[in-house]
Amino acid sequence: MKVSEFAKASGFAVFTSGEEREIESGYCGDFLSNIISRATDACCWLTVMNNVNVAAVATLIDCACIVLCEGVEPDAQLFERAKTAGIWILGANANVYETAKTVCRICGV
Amino acid sequence: MQCIRLEYDVDGENFASAGNASESVKRTLKQMGVSPVSVRRVAIAMYEGEINMVIHAHGGKAVAEIYPDHIDIALKDTGPGIADIDLAMKAGYSTASENIRSLGFGAGMGLPNMKKYSDEMRIESAVGVGTTVFLRIDFE
Repeated sequence: MKVSEFAKASGFAVFTSGEEREIESGYCGDFLSNIISRATDACCWLTVMNNVNVAAVATLIDCACIVLCEGVEPDAQLFERAKTAGIWILGANANVYETAKTVCRICGV
Repeated sequence: MQCIRLEYDVDGENFASAGNASESVKRTLKQMGVSPVSVRRVAIAMYEGEINMVIHAHGGKAVAEIYPDHIDIALKDTGPGIADIDLAMKAGYSTASENIRSLGFGAGMGLPNMKKYSDEMRIESAVGVGTTVFLRIDFE
């Protein structure tokens, strides 16, 4: 499923949008070293981290989108960098586990 | 053999620009048609090195030399040096502060990841002088 379709179907907040990508898998994590070595390309990455390094990591792993969980919003630096780099950042109020279930239900990954 | 040489200044304690060198090398490799698996390995290994320089060593220099079949990366800093390299290489060992951990770093996986995703890795370090990490990644 495309990120824009997922954003619409999930009702998640859209903080920044980017290049249209297909969501092919999912990954949950906050330790950036784990994420860069384990998250797969074109994944939907669920995290509660909201600093500028999240954008750098998202670019390195080529994720389809980031979902900030638990009502977390991107800080100003992250917002700017994601906007410039064309990275999708969505936002969910639910915790990471519940958000992952939503990704699974809607995207079938 | 001819190579493409890329040099970067890594700005210490500036998390806003951390990762720029790795991103640039990644983009270059992609444009050159290097396989996605190899590009990913380079990006991981180099990003970890770059972040280490930002966190621990007030920045430094990153040099990448791209050959047709591999890349050589040198990450050179004039930071505090590593007293016990074997210990530093242990997965889970970290000297990062609470503040750094709260940014998502300090899992103690930086050096292990660099080793895991490179074909050769060498560390030269002297306490009070600095550290240079050499990485070679062969393209598949």
